[in-house]
Amino acid sequence: MNAGPMVTPARLWLAYLRRSPLLVFVLLYTVVSGGPFVWVAAMSLRTTPEIFASPYALPAPLHFEKFADAWTRSNYGTYFWNSTIVVVTAVALLTIIGAMVAHALARFHFRGNRLVRFVILSGMILPPQLVILSLFQILVELQLYNTLTGLIVVYVAGHLAMTVYILEGFFAQIPQDLFDAARLDGYSDLEIFWRITLPIGTPALFTTVTLNFIILWNEFLYAVVLLTDDDKRTLPLGIMHFMGSHQLDIGMLATGLMIAIGPIILLYAFFSETMIKGMTAGAVR
Amino acid sequence: MGEVAIHVLCKRYDGSSDFAVKGVTLTVTDGEFMVLLGPSGCGKSSVLRMIAGLEPITSGTVAIDGRIMNAVPAKDRDIAMVFQSYALYPHMDVFNNLAFGLRRRGVARPDIERRVNAVAVQLGLDPYLKRKPHALSGGQRQRVALGRAIVREPKVFLFDEPLSNLDAALRLTTRNELIRQQREIGITAIYVTHDQLEAMTMGHRICIMDKGEVVQIGAPLEVYRNPANTFVAKFLGSPPMNLLPVSTDAGPDGYRFSLGGTTWSANAWVAEKLGALGGQALIGIRPEDLFEVSPRPGDARVVPLPAATVAAVEALGAETLVVLTLEGVTQEVIARVGRETKLRPGDAAAFLVDTVAMHVFDTTTTQSIPRRRD
Repeated sequence: MNAGPMVTPARLWLAYLRRSPLLVFVLLYTVVSGGPFVWVAAMSLRTTPEIFASPYALPAPLHFEKFADAWTRSNYGTYFWNSTIVVVTAVALLTIIGAMVAHALARFHFRGNRLVRFVILSGMILPPQLVILSLFQILVELQLYNTLTGLIVVYVAGHLAMTVYILEGFFAQIPQDLFDAARLDGYSDLEIFWRITLPIGTPALFTTVTLNFIILWNEFLYAVVLLTDDDKRTLPLGIMHFMGSHQLDIGMLATGLMIAIGPIILLYAFFSETMIKGMTAGAVR
Repeated sequence: MGEVAIHVLCKRYDGSSDFAVKGVTLTVTDGEFMVLLGPSGCGKSSVLRMIAGLEPITSGTVAIDGRIMNAVPAKDRDIAMVFQSYALYPHMDVFNNLAFGLRRRGVARPDIERRVNAVAVQLGLDPYLKRKPHALSGGQRQRVALGRAIVREPKVFLFDEPLSNLDAALRLTTRNELIRQQREIGITAIYVTHDQLEAMTMGHRICIMDKGEVVQIGAPLEVYRNPANTFVAKFLGSPPMNLLPVSTDAGPDGYRFSLGGTTWSANAWVAEKLGALGGQALIGIRPEDLFEVSPRPGDARVVPLPAATVAAVEALGAETLVVLTLEGVTQEVIARVGRETKLRPGDAAAFLVDTVAMHVFDTTTTQSIPRRRD
């Protein structure tokens, strides 16, 4: 005699049927979100005439030489380098300054603590379109207009609120006893920040680094308004370069896009799990 | 040396109108194990944190070896503290947790290794030196926390309820380990707890606190036997002391107590202060001072309680607690009797009380009335 119910083909089909709506949904979601990426990836290996002849065909032959062309002849190397300087510097500054501010707000109950938090976090409320003219004017006056330094400063200022918001939530959960123990062990506030807060807050730091990197790597609005010289452009502006008023080199555009999103894909592949851990930390005790 | 002297210490937290600590004065001598005991919110942890320098002092002084420490930062007070949560650094292994404080103090690397290894061997932690705290059991974490304090060789140890996260069996062994370590090392220790059993077994002296004030300081048994007021009487002892309202009056042979329908002469054990009580008093009887059979047959100081009915019987194994309802008394009384008792709920019982061990308290001030010492 069998103790449990028999696994018959009919039962298996019933189990599949019950789960089919979920499977259909997951399949559709994958097609909708992954489809454009696959299409652009395919186009990046085809020439523009080939694409116009048959937009959805698979690449054959594979034009890998387009990547070298884009890098050398279309100035992509400069754009990539500019983006790297701006984004890496901005993310590094954001992480250090944001972590220090978050540590101070989470740990010290000084007079005006709530006001400082409100002022910093209110930066998240304002849309970039609202402040861009004032920023333009300020950068001109500071002689930072059309400089990578100016763009870095704007990026740091614009993303500090979100960084502080994420980090403060995480740092506030680090038990006060750890800080007290470190004080009794002889460490100063700054040393405690470096030796206790930062190592323990690594998941949250990874989260902010990844998020800020992705957002700033793709940032277009500030870059297009605050940079004018071709040799100072970042990647998103460089890609726009292929979208002329009278012609569209869609093949090169796709190749440029693949170059641009490469670092993002790498970053996400390595840190996505840590990032999700950091974002959900404290949600469930 | 490590004498801690606290003088009229007060603490008021920002945004609060009440003082959390109200004029605590206390001296802990070198090598002494002092326990601060009291219920949650009585201010004992605040006192400890002010001694450590983790909390600013509102008024009063904290002195270590005669030097006022109020303005000295925590790191320069030469104090080590064991926290309730252990506060182990989660990103460091056991070795680095133990060595963290020594590194900051500029101890040479070979010395750090020697001291950390010695403490690890002493506490049985040597097999775990490369483990992170999350890979340790509760008892091992507790030992790392203790080791971190010992390795520093400070003047004073502070303990903030370090055993409260352990299960009952582990708590017992760790408690004995802590006592052994402190006695061996001989460093002054101040230990905060709300557990009277810990206080009774660990401390050379107990300082009992209530509502931010020191209520009584003394050796554990002295405080147990001579509680200063009804708070101490009820707080120390499990089950707590029975407190029963009685009326007092002056009879032909001196003052008398009346409880229910029973009257006793008070002269045998209470001083002459009864006259000032306005006819009312509270008598306190420990559960172990109530007997089914007189412990000293023929001794006039063992007197009967009013007729009792057994309301409940709690067999604890080694002993049995009997809850009694006394005739003419609204309050129930708990007696601790032998495990062989035949009493069952609903039985009529006749209990005796040893008046030598009985306490009398002023109903209004709740203070103890000193017993005659003869």
